[in-house]
Amino acid sequence: MKRLSSKSLIDIAFYAIFIIAILVAPRFLEEFGLNRLAKFLVYGILGIAVALSWGYAGILNLGQGLFFGLGAYMIAMSLKLSSATSLQQGSDKPVPDFMLWNAEPGSKTDLCCLNAGSFLWIPFQHQWFGILMGIVLPTLIALVVGLVIFRKKIAGVFISVITLSLVLLVRLLIIDAQPITNGWNGLTDLGTLAVGSVVFDPFSVETYYLVSISLALILILARLLTQTRAGMVLQAIRDDQNRVLYLGFDVPMYQVFFFAVSALIAGYAGMLYVLVAEFASPTFMDLSFSITMVVWAAVGGRASLLGACVGAVLINSIEASVSETKSLVEAWKVIIGLLFVLAVLYLPRGLAGLVHSGIDRLLERRNPYGTDVESTLPEEQAAE
Amino acid sequence: MLDTIFIGLSVGSILLLVALGLAITYGAMGVINMAHGEMVMIGAYTTVMAAIWLHLGIIWAIPLAFFVTALLGLLIEKFVVRQLYGRLMDTLLATWGIAILLQQAVRLEFGLSFFGLHIAGLGPGLQNVTVPAFLQGTVTIGTAQINSYRLFIIAVTIVMTLLTWFIMHRTSIGMKVRAIIRNPKMAAACGIDVQRVNALTFAFGSGLAGVAGVMMSGFKTVFPDMGTPMVVDGFLVVVVGGVGSLVGSILSAGILGQVDGAVAAVWNDVIARAVVFGFVILTIVIKPEGLFSYKGRR
Repeated sequence: MKRLSSKSLIDIAFYAIFIIAILVAPRFLEEFGLNRLAKFLVYGILGIAVALSWGYAGILNLGQGLFFGLGAYMIAMSLKLSSATSLQQGSDKPVPDFMLWNAEPGSKTDLCCLNAGSFLWIPFQHQWFGILMGIVLPTLIALVVGLVIFRKKIAGVFISVITLSLVLLVRLLIIDAQPITNGWNGLTDLGTLAVGSVVFDPFSVETYYLVSISLALILILARLLTQTRAGMVLQAIRDDQNRVLYLGFDVPMYQVFFFAVSALIAGYAGMLYVLVAEFASPTFMDLSFSITMVVWAAVGGRASLLGACVGAVLINSIEASVSETKSLVEAWKVIIGLLFVLAVLYLPRGLAGLVHSGIDRLLERRNPYGTDVESTLPEEQAAE
Repeated sequence: MLDTIFIGLSVGSILLLVALGLAITYGAMGVINMAHGEMVMIGAYTTVMAAIWLHLGIIWAIPLAFFVTALLGLLIEKFVVRQLYGRLMDTLLATWGIAILLQQAVRLEFGLSFFGLHIAGLGPGLQNVTVPAFLQGTVTIGTAQINSYRLFIIAVTIVMTLLTWFIMHRTSIGMKVRAIIRNPKMAAACGIDVQRVNALTFAFGSGLAGVAGVMMSGFKTVFPDMGTPMVVDGFLVVVVGGVGSLVGSILSAGILGQVDGAVAAVWNDVIARAVVFGFVILTIVIKPEGLFSYKGRR
């Protein structure tokens, strides 16, 4: 068996500490704090999704919010139908309240023919359909988009422009389809998810454990995925695409695969977010939210899954505690802006990079002829 | 019909002013300036401030805004962008941070609002600019009633575009910029001071955005977040037109402006925006190098 170097042992230790910390947190937090932490952990999952596509695949997706939003909407549709208000709209079957507000007078109070698009809601009466779609739809869309982008050999900034346009496009469509999506207001007043006898109330410990265990599993699985052969090939593609191509690898397939995995994680995070926050709205697909995710990853360390995840949790925790003082809310945005500029300029590998070089220095002192070579951030491709 | 075309043209003109700046900075320097939209915002605020503090009308605000935003561009180039040449993705992120900083600077009145001090014309609220009397009202062309402020926008855009074309194609600095667009390393080897030319290019591009901001302030409310959608639109124009191609930017701003205006007239504003995004995605997929691309830099 291959002996683990002291560096990867330290890495494993960091992962373990983080996972243990989030699992024992309920012992120290009351309901409200727990709900808030759960929300930040969902952002942490998003951070992992961004790091996977940006740090490992070199794909700067400025539309990650699309997948997050789709996942959120899918499960929110199911939960909307299971809410008490949907059952009290004068029909024996559940009907979302907002659909009736603008319904044609005299139209039948049934999902089949309330308005032109309401039939789309029919399968969402089963909560498992919503949950399934929350995973399948983002992944499927990512596969299609990825196939087009990577087969066409679209690279670099153009991927960012396409993903950015796509998320804004879908956002507008959702806002415009007011009769079936409730437009700007999004889906609110949702029911709670119940699996068997376990009810995932947003303030319950069960929901927290669902989120934190999901995060731990995603973190570990994503990490293992990057260490498989496919993960190695992916990083090689990031560093020099042509060379990998000449070595005979099907470059687009690897890129599509990881693009879809990243979308799947983001979609799953969207679903968890709905459980914790009890709403889904078009703001999930705002450009600024998608870029904010990138900020978390950049500050935490784009090339480190744990770093990006911790970055997301950390930034949001600080933001939440600062936001309690009203005058500091706007000042906090200044700090975020400044932090971002400084991180990009002086800490391109983020906090994780800082920690790594600190550890390297410690190891060097102990073992001056160590063989660990400091990994450096690959030079990003210059403008083509 | 004609008035729809004119609305499309005036929307397209502002888009063009924003996009021209982006096209030369992106073309020449490979920098994606996400703070470009904030230059539009600052141009608009310059107009507001000029009216309040200097009692200057919208006409005088044009050179003033150009100067202010160009200076700001110069500073951004010197302290941030210059450090990031060759790291294309990172310029996008760093300038996004700058964009937030600029918005907050306006919203918090340079931080003075913390001390209870307020500057008239700044702050988080909405601002308005009064358009001088001779630009209000309509002009009748044929059977159509055309808003004269829209004509003014189109005229200013034509002047600025011609100026840009003249600088790029008839002056020695423009020749240097074009050389850098083609091949920055070779240009440097030929003795062009690439860093200095880049700084000036960036300042000029920012200045154009400032002028676009003045134009916008005349028919839209002015507020700290107004620039963000502009940079997205401007960038879409550049990508559709083909990077580094002035003609491409002009044509694609025209096309996108018309698509937006026409769909909005037939359907609604939201769908019009959606159609524009769809159009851009299709363009990149079918012709990644842009509709009117420029051979070079490859």
